[in-house]
Amino acid sequence: MISNLAIAILNGIVWGLIMALIALGLNMIFGLLHIINMAHGALYMLGAVVAWYLIEITGSFWIALVVAPLCVGLIGLIIERGLIRTIEDKPIITIICTFGLMLAVQQLVLMIFGGSPRRISPPVAYRFPLFELQYPAMRIMIALISIGLMIGLWIFLRKTKYGLWMRAVVQDREMAVGLGIPVNKVYMWTFVLGSALAAFSGVLAAPIVSVEFMMGREVLIMAFIIVIVGGMGNLEGSVLAAIMISLIQGIGSLFVPPSIATVFALAFMIIVLLIRPQGLFGE
Amino acid sequence: MFIQKGKSFGFILIFVLILLLLTVLPFFVDLFYQTFLTELFVWILFAISFDLIFGYTGLLSFGQALFFGLGSYTVTILMRQFGFNTELSLLLSIVIPILFAWFVGYFSVKLTGIHFVIITIIFAIIGNIIGDTWTSFTGGSDGLTFSPPPFRLGLFQIDLMDIKGNYYFVLTVVAISYLFLRRMVQSPLGKVFISIRENEDRARLIGYNVQRYKLIAFMIAGGLSGLAGGLYSLTLKYASAGYLHWSVSGHAVVYTIVGGMGTLMGPALGAGIVMSLEHYLINYLQATDLVVGIVLVFMVLVAPKGLVGLIQSKFKRRKASV
Repeated sequence: MISNLAIAILNGIVWGLIMALIALGLNMIFGLLHIINMAHGALYMLGAVVAWYLIEITGSFWIALVVAPLCVGLIGLIIERGLIRTIEDKPIITIICTFGLMLAVQQLVLMIFGGSPRRISPPVAYRFPLFELQYPAMRIMIALISIGLMIGLWIFLRKTKYGLWMRAVVQDREMAVGLGIPVNKVYMWTFVLGSALAAFSGVLAAPIVSVEFMMGREVLIMAFIIVIVGGMGNLEGSVLAAIMISLIQGIGSLFVPPSIATVFALAFMIIVLLIRPQGLFGE
Repeated sequence: MFIQKGKSFGFILIFVLILLLLTVLPFFVDLFYQTFLTELFVWILFAISFDLIFGYTGLLSFGQALFFGLGSYTVTILMRQFGFNTELSLLLSIVIPILFAWFVGYFSVKLTGIHFVIITIIFAIIGNIIGDTWTSFTGGSDGLTFSPPPFRLGLFQIDLMDIKGNYYFVLTVVAISYLFLRRMVQSPLGKVFISIRENEDRARLIGYNVQRYKLIAFMIAGGLSGLAGGLYSLTLKYASAGYLHWSVSGHAVVYTIVGGMGTLMGPALGAGIVMSLEHYLINYLQATDLVVGIVLVFMVLVAPKGLVGLIQSKFKRRKASV
């Protein structure tokens, strides 16, 4: 029992960190552009799929981890410049537009990649003993990489010029324009960064889950939950909420069926939406 | 009866012509297309009920799948498990989704914009998970099958196991629902819905209880979505938890955007065009949703008012130049 619990907690934290990366991307785009990107889950899936091809070609997980987010970031750039920019002031229309995009991307992957799930074998096969069971070291590595990336993101937002611009645009768009901040470019790079983050977490998740064209659908909803519980536009809140919800789901699944645990998470989110629409950790 | 007298004559003419065409059509097409058209009528009903809540009231609900699935399960379970007759089951496939829409709407209409979108998605997901998990009652993703008894109204009787009989039955119900919705959006109540879409604050300032009217629109749309689900099950003799998935609502979104929101005629037209397109494409391409997605993105960018909007603006321009 104690080893099951330990593994549930570890899994909860690892998955929570991956979810945090996805939710961070979604939340950055929301906080800045005020759009809900329904295609975010599809971009996550795209990251994993591109990584699968890259691993087939190069044989290296680490190359895929770097290159796949760049590819998807480029796709994000095209999406932002080509589609979102023209309708960015109509939030409801962007939801519908990105929903269409989600359908198209999913089905395109289905056509090219096929419908059957494929696996990416973890680059580090070592397992260390944990009580009487064994735990793959790769997952710890995934967690460390996620934490590293989040620290990098924090430094980027706090210490660089672009980060300062981003925060300025979030605070007051008009004023930012007045001060000569290239708001348009900030929008673009935020969307690219958000897309790349989704893809990055897709690659990280690939050795844990199987790669298939629908893998982004449930993740998208979890990311919504996290963003809302943590507070829309509140990045630190997203990280906390991601880990909290994954832990609750992971530990809860030991006692009740996983689907019931999800229903509780969803009901919890409805309550948060109604009572604290600014999120649990908002002011 | 109708508010816009001049327009309504043209409407009645077109409506009767289309009905006549659809009445004689089964004698010229085979059983496959009869079923296809019957399904099309069902999706038209689903799309126009969504149009009431989205196109007229301005609320993007991705939760309509919940009511569609509920209506579908109401009909299936009542007939299969409890031996209800068709009339009562179909009536309850409106009533039960309305009650659920009352519950869901009570919470949802307190929220606006994207929060509303998300909360309706969540309710649909909860419904889908429960449907998937509670397999002893719902059959889960395998679903349930049944065979409906004939529909009786006085001396009048339709055999629903007969494809043609089912065709006429669904056509009749959808046509009546269409007229009901059209009458509703032209009524004072409909004008309140439109005023909420146009400017919620102003509607509130005039003195309307905006949340209550939103709830009314949500319940009517939910009831008709349920009816669509009930008719769908009557046509396929089947219901499954998959109908409750929030992405089913996406059908209504696509049809409404392609055809033109807030027009009723638009979503009906959109359903016809998109479903025909899918039907045609399936011969060449397995992933028809690829084209549907691209069409949706294209329409949103190029003609957010849909095909009906395009046609209307053409007419207006012509009138202006004359």
